[in-house]
Amino acid sequence: MTPVPPVPPDTDDAVLLELTGVRRHFGGVKAVDGVDLQVDRGEIVGLIGPNGAGKTTLVNLVTGHARVDAGTIRLHRDARDVVDLENRPVHRVAGWGLARTFQNLRLYGELSVVDNVIIGMHAHRRSDVVSMMVPVGPGARGRAERAERARALLARVGLDPDRQGRQAAATLAYGDQRRLEIARALALQPRLLLLDEPAAGMNNAEKDRLADLLRSLVADDGLTVLLIEHDLRLVMGLCQRIAVMDFGRKIADGPPQEVSADPAVIAAYLGARAASAAGSAGDVAAAAAAVARSSVGDARSTDPEAGGAAEGGFGVAGPGTARRSVSAGTTLLEVEDLHVAYGAIEAVRGVSLSVAEGEVVTLIGANGAGKSTILRTLSGLVRASSGRATFGAVDLLRAGAPAIVAARLIQVPEGREILGTLTVEENLQLGAWHRTDAAAVRTEIAQQLERFPVLGQRRSLPAGQLSGGEQQVLAIARGLLGRPRLLVLDEPSLGLAPRLVEEVFDLIAGLHTEGLTILLVEQNAVRALQLATRGYVLETGQVTVAGEASELLANPRVQSAYLGT
Amino acid sequence: MRFLIDLFTHPSAWYSAHRLLVAQMGINSLLAVSIWVTLYAGMLTLANVGFMAIGGYTTVIMAIHLHTPLPLNIACGALLAGAVGVVIGLPVLRLKGVYLAIATVGFGEVVRFGIILNLGITGKGQGLTNPVADTNAILPVWIVLGILVAGLWRLTRSKLGQAWAAIRSNELAAASGAIDTARYKLGAFVLGAVLAGLAGGLDAHLNFFIDPTEYAFNRAVLVLIFAFVGGILVPAGPVLGAVLLTALPEIFRSANAYRDVLDGLILMLIVVFRPQGLIGRRPDRHRRTRPARPHAEPATASEPVSELATPEPGP
Amino acid sequence: MRYDAQQILNGVFLGSIYALFAVGYTLVFGVLDVLNLAHSAVFMLGAVLAYSLVALHGTPFWIAAPIAIVGGGVMGVVIEFVCLRPLRRRDAPPITALISTIGLALVLVALVEQGRPGRFISWLWRDGANSVSLPKGTVPDRAFHLAGLIVPETKVAILVLSLILMVVLGAVIGRTNAGRAMRAVAENPTAARILGINVDRVILTTLIASSALAALSGVLYGVAISDISPYIGRDQVELRGLAVIVLGGMGSVTGSIVGGYLLALIEVITLLTLGTNVRAAIAFAALFVMLVIRPRGLFGTTARERV
Repeated sequence: MTPVPPVPPDTDDAVLLELTGVRRHFGGVKAVDGVDLQVDRGEIVGLIGPNGAGKTTLVNLVTGHARVDAGTIRLHRDARDVVDLENRPVHRVAGWGLARTFQNLRLYGELSVVDNVIIGMHAHRRSDVVSMMVPVGPGARGRAERAERARALLARVGLDPDRQGRQAAATLAYGDQRRLEIARALALQPRLLLLDEPAAGMNNAEKDRLADLLRSLVADDGLTVLLIEHDLRLVMGLCQRIAVMDFGRKIADGPPQEVSADPAVIAAYLGARAASAAGSAGDVAAAAAAVARSSVGDARSTDPEAGGAAEGGFGVAGPGTARRSVSAGTTLLEVEDLHVAYGAIEAVRGVSLSVAEGEVVTLIGANGAGKSTILRTLSGLVRASSGRATFGAVDLLRAGAPAIVAARLIQVPEGREILGTLTVEENLQLGAWHRTDAAAVRTEIAQQLERFPVLGQRRSLPAGQLSGGEQQVLAIARGLLGRPRLLVLDEPSLGLAPRLVEEVFDLIAGLHTEGLTILLVEQNAVRALQLATRGYVLETGQVTVAGEASELLANPRVQSAYLGT
Repeated sequence: MRFLIDLFTHPSAWYSAHRLLVAQMGINSLLAVSIWVTLYAGMLTLANVGFMAIGGYTTVIMAIHLHTPLPLNIACGALLAGAVGVVIGLPVLRLKGVYLAIATVGFGEVVRFGIILNLGITGKGQGLTNPVADTNAILPVWIVLGILVAGLWRLTRSKLGQAWAAIRSNELAAASGAIDTARYKLGAFVLGAVLAGLAGGLDAHLNFFIDPTEYAFNRAVLVLIFAFVGGILVPAGPVLGAVLLTALPEIFRSANAYRDVLDGLILMLIVVFRPQGLIGRRPDRHRRTRPARPHAEPATASEPVSELATPEPGP
Repeated sequence: MRYDAQQILNGVFLGSIYALFAVGYTLVFGVLDVLNLAHSAVFMLGAVLAYSLVALHGTPFWIAAPIAIVGGGVMGVVIEFVCLRPLRRRDAPPITALISTIGLALVLVALVEQGRPGRFISWLWRDGANSVSLPKGTVPDRAFHLAGLIVPETKVAILVLSLILMVVLGAVIGRTNAGRAMRAVAENPTAARILGINVDRVILTTLIASSALAALSGVLYGVAISDISPYIGRDQVELRGLAVIVLGGMGSVTGSIVGGYLLALIEVITLLTLGTNVRAAIAFAALFVMLVIRPRGLFGTTARERV
């Protein structure tokens, strides 16, 4: 994909949206901590950063979905007309020409596709209560006109108004629903389009089409676009400028080449070790390769940080990136040709994998590739449409969730799912829900509280008061209390600071050394592969690459797809 | 069953014999339409009997004390109900789902107990005698109903109606689509109040005597049942529900004693097997849209976007 | 003064009944996010069943009461399987559960209302729409005399029993595995499933417990107040129960208990200061005010919507 040429340096006229010192804190969390950002007319600006960096919150602050605690947000409607956006009602901000899409799709599900777009035209529509009373005349003409325009917009985003126009919006395929949301946003005739992960769940071909659409909207319709995305390949190729957020702050802001070479950015995405390994390496791929090289081979990494990290913040006494060589243990988990569909979208399309005793197997892949769906299916939370999955003697596709947990396939879910209103200790007790050996449970809980001082100190506090990293530890400890034969970890590093990510991975590595079998899904591909014995790469529901973790790390295709070159 | 047969074979005789029933059907239909308006905009409100009481009592009081012509009385009743709707609606419409429903129930009961039972002008709970009652004034009810149903149906295609549909479907998205949700919701609520007040006025006019039991909570629930059973896709749905369920005891004369049992059973069956009501589209098998990333922000803190996130009533 | 104190005392007893009723209401709301409007019908059934066993079939009260409570539990099973589970299976919106329970309540009240001698339901109820009371001597009629106040023994027993029950319930919910599982499902059913908790079973247990509480409060009501009719659920506690859980916070057991006594107290004070007419409306006025200024009630938690 060829990048869009940069917009000429800013004159006063060029600025469209200006954020200065924007701050949003709640409950002790600095979601957005003093961010300055400027978006010029006709730009396509990307907003990236690890999960939990505050990107969506920032957009929410602009659109009025969140309260601004400090700072200003100014919209330059034209050279002389500047509006303050802080703490305005959502509909007012939208009326000024800011259209947005949502991370979790928000369509008018039961209304027709065309009606979704027509409703998007609300701001430009005159009140027609009277004229609509009769089926002819100006009312009917207006209706026909709107329908025409809606169809044109649908076609523009790549939908088929004839075939799909009258369907209920919720019955569209997932990718089409995302496109519909954009069509609806366009109906507002916005100046600025704020897109929150618009490419989630799309395959590469669809992403390319999306990129083309956005480019043409900017070039032909004079739109400006601010886009939150995780797909670095898409972002690097599409955006003229990229702003990177981490921990509520903006850590970089510039053209793609500059940003991708920025060590702070690399650190935020890959972790501190990668940053120091990168040193003067100068770009993400090289950094990743350097990290991979440094951990190939057995036992301890030659990275000087490894020894220090042994005494991590969680008080875990364990080695760094020790890895077992390939073990020939019994196969615990066997998945064959698994298909899982949500309605008519096939999220998982014929996946086969296996996990043997003592291994750490990792599933990596882009968002929406189907990784979490597979894990949810294995734990009995989602029904598979076909295939086989066995865990020892248990048929995972037929046994319910309680039976699977009783068979000791324990999952630490994405987002942790900690019970915030229960105490730390009660959360741990629930981890042993399916067990009948009460005395042993009590001993083990005491052990866990001792092993993890952060938990021990807060044992009687509501778990909701723990920080993200502490909750992750709690979730893992809770999982361990289920006496797992197989521990399934879904995105354990989600929303954690790089330092904490290191510590969580150290913890996981320690568990591996103790002999625990682990199935790990991670967005942080490099760290996961460093830790793992074997790995599978998932792309839009299918396994595209599989093999030894070290091989995958060195595989250029993996590198380019997930490491952003 | 004689009931239905006679309807078709001897319509005018049937009408003379069942005038009261036809009147009741009309009033209930009007009430059901009043609740339909708010349901269409995504709100479950059970305040209709409270507004009905305001409309009814205003009409009768004006007739007793001011001797003003009937249409004026009824209009004043409806408008007063609307005004009260504005006052109540402003604070209450921030609530969602069950909380809104309960608040409106509370309002209805406050009206009934607090005002009607205590004020001398309203007869101190003993009811009021209507000096100008006309038990034959049935046709006006149905004419008003017909105009309303047609008008509301056309309204659903207007900017206003589509805004309501958007709010019902996904309020957050509607706000992001530049729709002033607070204003539109208030509008639907007030319109419902006016219609309920209108129903109250017409109903009072048909009776020689009005008393507070007419406006009890149970009636509000009954009205909800009419609307729901009929289907809330179009305004004709609640009318169908009201007509059928009001006539039910006559149709099943022999089972008259068990009419409420039948009502309840029908309700339970419809809600499970035909939740869209009698007139409605079967909701398509929706694809469950899976969010790309369910918990992007840290799990500890969350953003209070709306005060209460109990799910809103579906269509 | 004596009259006032007596009324306040009565208020306290009544508050126990409101509290017990509301606790069941709020349990279901907390765990399921559904307002079970058949709850008041089960209250009525508890009273009716106890009455029927005692007056029509000559059962001693101390046997009749537990049977009535068990009957309540059975109703809980019915509510779950007839009204709630089918809708959950179909992913229906929450309003449908509300409406389904309304339908069931309608059916139950109507069935009892039709109870006349000679009808099939006469084993349960024979008095149609009339109000009856437990025969004299069903429960001991003694009373203490304390500081000039008449304190009926039965009402003291009700108070003590209620308090014990609430403590026990608090302990079960707070300290047992089953209670933790309930709280887990109330907070986050997905997390509960991940832990291997059988969510359907927890829901069923909640409904059984809640309905048993409703029946119990109905029995106690029948004992405390000589008024048992098919309409006591609808007229006496349905809306008051709503007011209590709104005041206390929907989903909070502590809130229901506090709210129950609070509402009874408010009613008594209103009665003493403003007279009987206003008293009836005061519950709803309080409810309305609370919803406007603090929708989550005294002890409830705010739920948040993610963008």
